[in-house]
Amino acid sequence: MQNNIPDNLENELKQLIALTIGISPEELEITTNFWSDLGVDSIKAIAITVAIERRYKVTVRDEQIPQITTVGQVIEIVKDALKKKSDGK
Amino acid sequence: MENKKRIVITGIGPISSVGIGKDEFWKGILQKRINLKLEKCFIGNEQWDSFHLHKIDKFNIADFGIDKDKLNDIKEWKEGEEVIDLSYLIAAVKLALDDSKLKYNSEDNRISLVLAHENIGLMPFGFKVSNLAYEMLIDKRKNEISKKVFFDEFYRKFLKSGYDVQTFADLFHVARVFNVHSYSLFLNNACASGLYALEAASQIIKQGQASAVVVATADCSDIYKYLWFKNLKIYSPDGKIRPFAKNSNGLVFGDGGAGIVMEDLFSAQNRNAQIYAEYIGGGFNLEGWKITVPQIGSDSYQKAIQSAFKNSYIDKNEIDFLCPHGIGSQPIDYYEAKAITDVFGLSPKKPLITAFKPYLGHNLGSSALLETVALLLSLNNNVIPPTLNCDTLDPKFNISLVKERKEIKLNMAMKICCAFAGYNAASIFKKID
Repeated sequence: MQNNIPDNLENELKQLIALTIGISPEELEITTNFWSDLGVDSIKAIAITVAIERRYKVTVRDEQIPQITTVGQVIEIVKDALKKKSDGK
Repeated sequence: MENKKRIVITGIGPISSVGIGKDEFWKGILQKRINLKLEKCFIGNEQWDSFHLHKIDKFNIADFGIDKDKLNDIKEWKEGEEVIDLSYLIAAVKLALDDSKLKYNSEDNRISLVLAHENIGLMPFGFKVSNLAYEMLIDKRKNEISKKVFFDEFYRKFLKSGYDVQTFADLFHVARVFNVHSYSLFLNNACASGLYALEAASQIIKQGQASAVVVATADCSDIYKYLWFKNLKIYSPDGKIRPFAKNSNGLVFGDGGAGIVMEDLFSAQNRNAQIYAEYIGGGFNLEGWKITVPQIGSDSYQKAIQSAFKNSYIDKNEIDFLCPHGIGSQPIDYYEAKAITDVFGLSPKKPLITAFKPYLGHNLGSSALLETVALLLSLNNNVIPPTLNCDTLDPKFNISLVKERKEIKLNMAMKICCAFAGYNAASIFKKID
C-alpha cells in the first residue's frame, strides 16, 4: 500500500461499482464505458460517488462526477483523493 | 412559551415572462402564455453563444409609480447603469405593497424587508472585471505591468462598483426607496431562498420586531450563469423544461421576481385586508454534501418535508396541492420524486402535483417565491394548472403529476425546494375560512 492506496484498488472498485449499479464485477473491464455500455445515468453516477466516498472516506469534487465513466477513470479519481488525504491537503 | 401569532399573506407581486402583476401573471399561466426566446450573447461585437430563456419583453421601472428621485439616486450610485435584477426587486416590493393596501408611517414604521437573491451584482461586476483585464492585457503588449500596477488600477476602478456584489447595499437601496427603517435582512439560500425568506419573515413578526414584512426576491439570466449550468450539463439544449419526464434534458432560465407581504392575522383582519393564505410553517435543512448535486440515497429532503409537518402540527393527508422544485434534470428530479414518495407514498391520490417552471423558466434564487405566488393563486382560485412538457412521466417516479387543468376545491398547499448546496425547504399554506 502506497499513499494509503490499496494494492487491489482495481478489483475493489470493480466490486463496489458492480454492486452499486446492479451488475456482476466480471462485466467490468478497465475501459468499459458505464454510460454507453452499461446504461449508467447521472443518477447512478452520483450513487457511485456516494459509495466511493463512504468506502474510502474521501471527497470527490463536483466536477469529477461527470468523469465517472470507466473503471480506469474512477481509479484515477480515488488515487488522487487518497493522495490528497495522505498529503493532508 | 409558544408564540400564538398567526402569520398571513396579504399582498403578492409577481414579475415574470408570462405576465407582470398578479392578474396578468395568473392569466398568463392559465393561457399558457410562454415567452421562450433564444438569447444571443455578444462579447464586444462577437457572438459567443446563445441560450433559450423565458424572457420578460417589456419592463420599465418608471411604470411602477416609484419615487423618481430615489430611482435616480440608485442609478447615480450605479454609475449611470440600471441593474435590472435590482429593478425587479424594487418593482416586486411595490406590486406586493400596493396589492396589500398596507399603509405605514415612515417616521414610526414597523415594516421590515426580507430580500433574497442568489447572484446579485455578479453580471455587471464580472463584465467590468473582464473589460478591465482585457484593457490591461492589450496594454501589456506595450509595457510590462506589475501585479501592483494591476491591483492599483483594479482598486481605483472597483472602489465603488465592488458594492454591486455586497448584498447589504441592495437592501439599503430598496429600504430607502420605500422608507422602510425596521429590522431587515438579505438572504441567500440558493434556489430555496424564497422559502427561507418567508420563514425568516414569519419569525420577525412572531418575535415582535415588525408588524409586517415585505419579502422579495429577483433574479435574471446572464452569460456567466448560463455557462455555469451548461458546463454542469443541466441546461436544456432545446429550451424545454420537462419536469419528471422520461426525456428531460435540463432547465431553462426565466427572468423575474416576486414580492409577498406577510403580517399577523389580527392586524390583517383589523384593517379588512385581503388574505391569500395563512403561512402555517416550514421545515428546513442543509444537506451540505456537494454544491451542485444532491446526495442520491440521502433522506435529508424527506426530513425537511417531514419537519414542516411536525413544526406546523399538520397531517400530510391535509395537503391538497404540492408545488415541487421540478427543474427537469434527471438526478434532481429523481431525488425530489423519491422524497415525495417517501413522505406521501407511491402514486397517492393527494397531493396533486404541478411544477410551474415550464411556464416561468427557472428564476434561480427567486424561483421558490415566484412559484409560491403561483401556488397561492391556485389555492385562491381552486385551479391547478397542468405541468407542461411532461408527455411521458419517467417510470422511476411514482408521483401524481397534474397533466390537465384541474378545478378542485383546495384548502392547503405545500411548496418544496431542493436547492444547490443542499438547502432543502418545505413551506405550508392554508386558506383562511
